[in-house]
Amino acid sequence: MAGIGLRAPHYEELLRRAPALDFVEVHSENFFAAGGAAPSWLESFRAAYSLSLHGVGLSLGSADPLDERHLARLHALVRRFEPMLVSEHLCWSSYGRRHANDLLPLPYTEESLAHVCARVERVQDHLGRSILVENVSSYLQLPGSAIPEWEFVAEVARRSGCGVLLDVNNIWVSAQNHAFDPYRYLDGIEAGSVGEIHLAGHEAQPDGLLVDTHGSVVAEPVWALYEAAVARFGPRPALVEWDTDIPALDVLLAQARRADLIAARVARQAA
Amino acid sequence: MSTLGPTQREFLAALFARAEPRDPGLAVYRRTVLANLGGALAGAFPVVRRLVGDAFFSEAARRHALDIPSTSGDLGEYGAEFARFLAGYSPAGGLEYLPGVARLEWALHESHRAAPAQRLDFGALARVPDNRRTAIRLLLHPAVRLVRSRHPVLAIWQANQSDRDGTPDRAAGADHVLVHRPDLAAGAQPIDEREWAFLAALRRGGALEEAAAAFPDPEAIGPALARMAAMGVFCGFEEPAPA
Repeated sequence: MAGIGLRAPHYEELLRRAPALDFVEVHSENFFAAGGAAPSWLESFRAAYSLSLHGVGLSLGSADPLDERHLARLHALVRRFEPMLVSEHLCWSSYGRRHANDLLPLPYTEESLAHVCARVERVQDHLGRSILVENVSSYLQLPGSAIPEWEFVAEVARRSGCGVLLDVNNIWVSAQNHAFDPYRYLDGIEAGSVGEIHLAGHEAQPDGLLVDTHGSVVAEPVWALYEAAVARFGPRPALVEWDTDIPALDVLLAQARRADLIAARVARQAA
Repeated sequence: MSTLGPTQREFLAALFARAEPRDPGLAVYRRTVLANLGGALAGAFPVVRRLVGDAFFSEAARRHALDIPSTSGDLGEYGAEFARFLAGYSPAGGLEYLPGVARLEWALHESHRAAPAQRLDFGALARVPDNRRTAIRLLLHPAVRLVRSRHPVLAIWQANQSDRDGTPDRAAGADHVLVHRPDLAAGAQPIDEREWAFLAALRRGGALEEAAAAFPDPEAIGPALARMAAMGVFCGFEEPAPA
């Protein structure tokens, strides 16, 4: 079965019940502590499942120098736990050494593209493996953005040799917020570059902006976009994320099951 | 010409500005950022939060987030300045013990995340010749933290664990606290003033002989050392280089 984003409220129950899952994914930074309970939990998860390390704080797109300490800690995790996937976000989080600890939008310019590609290459060299980069949701477009996001994502993968973690909820959210066609986005991504697909819930604000809250079930139009993504890219490791108002584990497992059913239906139709 | 840096600098300035942003998109980012940072503080300071209530804590966390930059991509490292911030936060001025409770919670947070280490090897210590033993430096386990306060912060902390009603066993008096993580979970326990001074001297890098000056009665040193060693407070020792 598809994977789930694993968060603290489910640690104990997951290990006790050991449900069938293709993999579990954790936020890398949640396991940066040198000792204590966190590394011990991760050892248990790794013993039971394939693991994906998903970074939220490397700040790939920052104009600051790359945070070597952060990278070293990520490298130590990768060496110790040998994950099947390592991913980061196509965004920035910090500048002038001040962190927003959030996934902030890049201006899609030639300058950003060259900068991000060099950084991805640097990270891959350091880790000794390729990584996936994930498209983020955004709520505004920065002045000077001239390249459509899908072209920017595809070009980063092409130039740096990294894979793409395609978050179809983020595509849907940004498509509504910035009035582009989410299916056109899928067409812009090379099938061979997609290494994982993310699914999550979003919410609509009263003013109409969609916000990537990771606090509800996956929306119906996002499931439809997922089906189109599987049809275009083939089956890929799929993952359901939930980060606010975290529900019972069974709710997440049911969402993962639905992702599997969709992938199976696409496979039958293709046969 | 490079525009990425200036764009990011302006974005952060607007994100953390005093005034609420007018742009609805930027407002979403500000709300998310403040919620993330506030959530990290709530996770590290549950007792402070219980003492002041959710609404008061949220506002303190919001002002802290706007005033004091987060400097790590790992939110587990955010909050080191919160105790100091609370000491200067006038709405909390009536709660004199609050910064001390916050220091204790941060010590527990750090202890919980610290590197593991071996326990002191007594056999190796016994092999140090008698005439050199007083010059050795005992090394504290990386998870050891020392906290002291004019207020009974440990009693307050203990009274505000989830199974207690918040009434501390002691309402006044200083506390000397040893924070440590003998296994996977960090804990806090009272130690006396001499033990605290002894460990503080070791933490400053003092030799055993120098640290032992904390005990007016030399007979008390052996039992205290044995008790602390049994708790796993020491992870090794260094001998001074031969003169």
